[in-house]
Amino acid sequence: MPDSAVARSHRSLLSRINLEIREHAPVPQQVALLAAGLLLGLLVSALILVSVGVSVSALLNEFVISIVTSSRSMGNVLDRAAPLVIVGLSAAIAFKTRFWNIGIEGQVIFGAIGATLVANADIGPPELRLFTMGAAAMLAGMIWIALPLYLRLRLRINEIISTLLMNYIALNFLLHLLYGPWKDPVTAFPNSKIYEHVERLGSTGWLNISTSVAIAMVFVVIVAWIFAASRFGFLMKFVYANPAMARAIGVNVAVLTILAVLASGALSGLAGFAISAGIDNRMTQSFFVGYGFSGILIGFLARNNPIAVVFFAFLISALMVAGQSLQIFYQIPFSIVQLIQATIVICVAASEFLIRHRIRFVR
Amino acid sequence: MTSLSTTAAPISEQASCAATGLAALAPRALQLTNIVKSFGDYVALDDVSFDLRRGEVHALLGENGAGKSTLMNVVAGLYTSDSGTVALNGSPVIIDNPSVAHRLGIGMVHQHYRLVDTFTALENIQLENGHGNYRRSMAKLRDRTTEIAERIGFGIDLDRPVGEMSISEQQRVEILKILTADARIIILDEPTAVLTDAEADRLFTAMAGLAAEGNSVVFVTHKLREALTYADRITVMRAGKMVRTVAPNDIDTTQLTSMIVGETIVERRYPSSNIGDPKIVLKGVSQAGGGDDAPISDVNFTVREGEIYGIAGVGGNGQSRLAALLTGLMRHDQGRILLAGHGALDGETPLALRELGFACIHSDRAHYGLANDLTIMENFSVSAVLAGDFGSPFKIDKRRMRASTQEAVKAFDVRGVRALHQKAGLLSGGNAQKLVLAREFSRAPSIVIAHSPCRGLDVRAAAAVHEHLHDARDRGGTVILISEDLDEILLMSDRIGVMSRGAIVAEFDAPADRNAIGKAMTGHA
Repeated sequence: MPDSAVARSHRSLLSRINLEIREHAPVPQQVALLAAGLLLGLLVSALILVSVGVSVSALLNEFVISIVTSSRSMGNVLDRAAPLVIVGLSAAIAFKTRFWNIGIEGQVIFGAIGATLVANADIGPPELRLFTMGAAAMLAGMIWIALPLYLRLRLRINEIISTLLMNYIALNFLLHLLYGPWKDPVTAFPNSKIYEHVERLGSTGWLNISTSVAIAMVFVVIVAWIFAASRFGFLMKFVYANPAMARAIGVNVAVLTILAVLASGALSGLAGFAISAGIDNRMTQSFFVGYGFSGILIGFLARNNPIAVVFFAFLISALMVAGQSLQIFYQIPFSIVQLIQATIVICVAASEFLIRHRIRFVR
Repeated sequence: MTSLSTTAAPISEQASCAATGLAALAPRALQLTNIVKSFGDYVALDDVSFDLRRGEVHALLGENGAGKSTLMNVVAGLYTSDSGTVALNGSPVIIDNPSVAHRLGIGMVHQHYRLVDTFTALENIQLENGHGNYRRSMAKLRDRTTEIAERIGFGIDLDRPVGEMSISEQQRVEILKILTADARIIILDEPTAVLTDAEADRLFTAMAGLAAEGNSVVFVTHKLREALTYADRITVMRAGKMVRTVAPNDIDTTQLTSMIVGETIVERRYPSSNIGDPKIVLKGVSQAGGGDDAPISDVNFTVREGEIYGIAGVGGNGQSRLAALLTGLMRHDQGRILLAGHGALDGETPLALRELGFACIHSDRAHYGLANDLTIMENFSVSAVLAGDFGSPFKIDKRRMRASTQEAVKAFDVRGVRALHQKAGLLSGGNAQKLVLAREFSRAPSIVIAHSPCRGLDVRAAAAVHEHLHDARDRGGTVILISEDLDEILLMSDRIGVMSRGAIVAEFDAPADRNAIGKAMTGHA
């Protein structure tokens, strides 16, 4: 086909609407579409909230004013965004080699277990404790993804299933630890004992930015660099776009996949560390909830672009924080909160569709 | 192009010659007038008029990107023209979507078949044409399809899953699908690109039968011989414009070629003047496991430096497997592949082979040649990046990459490149193949493995590919050309091996006798 703009033209049932694939949408247009999607989602959510009895002024106050102006809730959003950015990167890097890592949650759990192991046993000098915990978390995340990776490469076992099942194993192992050997000796609650001060990710001391946010940003830069400028990232594009061709031209697809997938596991593990040492200061039995699958969502919405990961992680984090305050201050049922979160995500995802397609009205 | 002259005239030719006079007088089944279609700034059809008579087989010829498929897609309702009129049997119609075309009795078989692999032939036909009660409609369709299939001589098992069928059987299912829908105008987009000569001949015999019943058949093709042999009339398009409609009797291949490309392209045999020492030797090479292609057993041949060794044969006789072995995609089970100056090859990776001076042109370009979703620059640069060029592992030097891609695109005359960051998938077949060649030849290879390098390419692009293969040979390179196109083999080769049932069954020195090779291809039992 000689046609450039139209890869495929398809007539829908509404025969006056033509759907065409865009070759490339300019960046400002992409941003505008995304913003429009977000706005629409917020509007629909506002309608939902008004319909369950929240006053319009309260809505404005809670969302627009307090999230943006209050440094405490902004800090809250950022703190939650940090691990979300890291899991988003984890998903992106695995998806880039067409390895569908659905096991981020399990790797997050194992990362926290690795970090807590170091904290409980006081391994290494206190000045390096956080570093050791982070390294242990990354190692534990890699270990947890290694088995599905091996199974996929050796026996072609679908990683979607195996990584998903590994989540349940990880969860039950976590519960075993928290109700058994690692139960908090002081309170007898199913938490690990609270981390010492040297084991907590505090503030960087600069603009009240926490260390976990700084760590996340460092990894955003690293991953963005790898994707955009390195040889590894260049070859990874081929593994993603056409693995058969990549192999035929001499790309070592297996090695590239192994490296990327291990990096994905390591990042998930690091996110577990960021949550437990940056937010909870201990490992709880539900610290991971909402992070594993959000990571997949973020990676997907960001189309594996590390910079876009930051944006979507921030969005999801804001939704999480706002959802909490809605529940607490307005007695909105959790199901409505979930409904709102899903509405916004769907609207943003729909704008993705418009970025890739053009709708034309004929005659 | 001497090699394209018609040799054996199939039976249908006499019938079509007789029909030529009648066709011009027969009533117009379809009349397109002043059709314009553009995509953005690109004008794909520029004021095109075309008519199709009742009872004729009409060939639509032209280069890649000439607008043939676009024109047919307008007729089939997939594209709506920007301006111009369409008349069916003399009355104007607006075909603004495929279901209208369907209702008007226009059926199109696309280049890529639209079949559900896991469904049987009949289920596929039902999917398109079934109405009302499933059981009753199945029974009715079975009778009707069987009747049509018998009438036009299509032997086909309606209850076999389409995925298990050969390409030519799948094509028959597609044709039956449109015939059971009462199509009177049958459009075939490059129907023979994937067929053998014999299969193509059978197809056109059936199409001639359909035309004789008063239907009209249009087929889009690159192959001049096919148009001259099987069509009642030939229409040539170039760069979105109509060139001329002619009767095959009034024209020869040379004239037709110059109509198609706007200039005269004649490819001549050009034997090697400097054949050197043996470069690659296959001794008793066998491979059976994995892959869809026929196994190969005990393959022996030697190719020297400065030589093009052509491997002829009917597709599916082990050529793909041989190509996979020679390009490092598979490892042989038995025998030895010896490379001068290196020793035995034993499961070298594609990368290792490249470092030994191999260049590979795979037959399946979309699968092995290019990553369609990536840019022209990336597709060109990947082999150099793998070899460690263009900056360090941490920082790729995009400026140098861009400069060298620019140079290669120019040197290899890759057209249709508006920007280097344009997706490679948007290039037409010929230009995509030129891009592959630019990449593969950028490192001055000493061994070239080319498998059907001109499949689906127009005359001009094919000539360019051939020129590059000759250049590689003249630089002292060793070229192995595996092709199902006997014309190409005869034109290019310094020596010819014939492959049949997984072995090289005969060898000929060029210039070889076409009939002798044909006999070896099919006669070996």
